[in-house]
Amino acid sequence: MTIYMARRLASKRRLRRLIAEREESRGLLIAFEGPDGSGKTTQRKLLTRWLESRNHDVVSTRWASSAMVKPLLKVRKKIRSLSIEEYSLLHAVDFRHRVETSILPALWSGKTVLADRYLFTGLARDAARGLDLDWLLHAYSPILWPDLVVYFSMTPEDSRRRIASTRAPHFYEAGQDVTGIDDPLASYGRFIDRVVKEYDNLSVVFEFVSVDAGDAVYRQHTRVRELVERAGKRPWPAFSEEAVEEWLTKSNIPGA
Amino acid sequence: MADQVKYPGRLIAVDGSRGKDVNAAAGAIAAALTRGGVACAVSRWDASGLFTELTAARRGDRHLSIRTLSLIYAADLAFRLRWEVRPVLESGGVVIAAPYVETVVAFGASSGLDEDWLRQLLRFAPRADLRGLALERKIDRPWKQRTDRGYAEYCATMLAASSPKGLSKKHRRAMVAALDRTRGRKIFDLTDKGVAGLARACRAVAETRRRAPTDSLEGGSRRSASRPRTGRR
Repeated sequence: MTIYMARRLASKRRLRRLIAEREESRGLLIAFEGPDGSGKTTQRKLLTRWLESRNHDVVSTRWASSAMVKPLLKVRKKIRSLSIEEYSLLHAVDFRHRVETSILPALWSGKTVLADRYLFTGLARDAARGLDLDWLLHAYSPILWPDLVVYFSMTPEDSRRRIASTRAPHFYEAGQDVTGIDDPLASYGRFIDRVVKEYDNLSVVFEFVSVDAGDAVYRQHTRVRELVERAGKRPWPAFSEEAVEEWLTKSNIPGA
Repeated sequence: MADQVKYPGRLIAVDGSRGKDVNAAAGAIAAALTRGGVACAVSRWDASGLFTELTAARRGDRHLSIRTLSLIYAADLAFRLRWEVRPVLESGGVVIAAPYVETVVAFGASSGLDEDWLRQLLRFAPRADLRGLALERKIDRPWKQRTDRGYAEYCATMLAASSPKGLSKKHRRAMVAALDRTRGRKIFDLTDKGVAGLARACRAVAETRRRAPTDSLEGGSRRSASRPRTGRR
């Protein structure tokens, strides 16, 4: 074994020990998923308030919100210039950037992170656009597994009805780039049908916990509270070691 | 997801560790092809403007990892393929992609990313018909920190700003070694001789494709399938 390889091995072992030691004090990562109009944001806000009242430090992160990528995405969405691959890859960039700059640092310092949509949104939407799920998983890997995925389930018809009552969906949100339908609502109706199917497949693989989005808001909130109270951690060494290790290597965490 | 379409056009990939060399080699190949009567298009790095806009947009936020940069490269490549590469290939023309897949794979692998991850990420890119390597001359220096020269220089600048563990000459040597590992019979070293060879090979491929249907009609001798389709003399 060369000196270089021995050093790398030693450094890997040190990082793994560091990750295992942090397991107890690290924060919980909770993801909220579901079709548009399912009430994720409302529930995330209610949960934030409840957790803060119990002296938890809470950090919230939203889909496509990284300060670095958001402007690039926004302008391209506005002029409708994105192909399916570009759309998917730019969301993967945004996600990776948020994982590295806000989600992992917050978890490492013991804060609870509430993700208003997580990578499953990208997987469901892009798979509904016709991209290969295997390639999508590659683009989003190494995956930082959430400890709990709360899925607000509703039928495509209900999602369409709720969206129709509030606003017209945007071009990409309505899937007009793939359906080719001029009417945003009609396009959304067709697109969300595929998205919900993809969500249903993902919910089995990634063990989502379902909450009926048709229930009263307070009932959903009570259920979410119960789920969070009962939630255990998905151990980093077993589930997310690669993602955390990579972040640690580039970070300025003492000991890394 | 992988692009397995057989295009009538030809794709020449030019890779290298220094943006300036890659651009110069692409220009030299284009000139050699034009002299030989073959018109061609050149697709360069950051045609989508993502990297430039990122430099302008990145104010307080200084963190960028090599994985994020690789994903941005993939997005830029998807843009180049859609607007610059595939239209030319579909119309039967010649397009030079400088840089292409090997540059980002070699750079990422030399910075610690899994090579297989990079190849899987970029599997939507069609295979190049011919490949050239822009030769590295200043291997014993770290990259110049410039955001307008090329992918490697851009990454060096961004990573130096993001973390104290920036890129050194060790990384550069590793990238050159990774590029060297991809060398094969069909890869041309883009020296003056190599550029001429690649242009000749490109013209030969064009000639073969143009003549193939006529030959079969006239009952002329066709090249055997076992003979390697390379322009090397």
